[in-house]
Amino acid sequence: MPGSDFEHIDVGHELQPLRLTLTPEQVRRYAISARIPAGRFLNDEAARLEGLPGQIAPGNMSMAFFSRLLRESFPGTRLKRLSATFRVPVRPNQPLTVRGVVTEKHATDHGDFIECDLVLESEDGERWVTGTASVHVPPSSEA
Amino acid sequence: MTVSFDRSIIGREFDHTELEPITAEEILEFIAVTGETEPPPALADLVAPPTFVVRVRGQRFVPPNLAGVTSGLDAGKDIEFGVPIRPGDVLTSVSTVHDIYEKTGRSGIMSFVVLRTVVTNQRGEQVAVIDQRMMFR
Repeated sequence: MPGSDFEHIDVGHELQPLRLTLTPEQVRRYAISARIPAGRFLNDEAARLEGLPGQIAPGNMSMAFFSRLLRESFPGTRLKRLSATFRVPVRPNQPLTVRGVVTEKHATDHGDFIECDLVLESEDGERWVTGTASVHVPPSSEA
Repeated sequence: MTVSFDRSIIGREFDHTELEPITAEEILEFIAVTGETEPPPALADLVAPPTFVVRVRGQRFVPPNLAGVTSGLDAGKDIEFGVPIRPGDVLTSVSTVHDIYEKTGRSGIMSFVVLRTVVTNQRGEQVAVIDQRMMFR
């Protein structure tokens, strides 16, 4: 979304939501790939041994989905800052939606920046993970 | 029972690790699992997705004086991204205790320890600053 498209993004703009249902195998693969192979991320049985009702997804995995939402919404930009608060553990086999809204935009000598609020929520609208992000839109000459 | 921590450990470095070189296979697997970015047509253009950096782990995940406290939860992260990670990069992570504070919530007083990890590459460029908020109660 480099260059002049920045002008057409308004504060309050809602990003096209990302709808996902994680599979147990996807969560397991992420945990191994992200080098956090704790039992609770690998399968239900190991998670129950840790006192949990079943397998959960690492919080970091939710941050990857925030990043993916921003990349799909603002192609050609660069993520400069990402914050997340893990409020409720994310479980596999449950439909979830990742949403974002533009809260601020500002121009600098180093390019333009878009600020967003983010949320990963359940089918019932329960907010499992919340976050904020700052996206750098490079000057047109760099695009 | 509230867990309390000695604030004198703020600013103390507890880990400094140089990691093995990043491989293209590691990046491609991360992309395949998260869909965070699209793999490029040519491997030479491969760049790790931004949150790939959270897999950087030093030898010590928490300071030695917190190691005995087992009830800590990962409450969240704040990441400032610098230069991207590419295959062959040799990353160094330096971790310190950045902050300690308490908050009162519906379930009582919670203690938070913020662990800051600064990741640089073999050229000394800053790749990321990761603040991890660990919650204890």
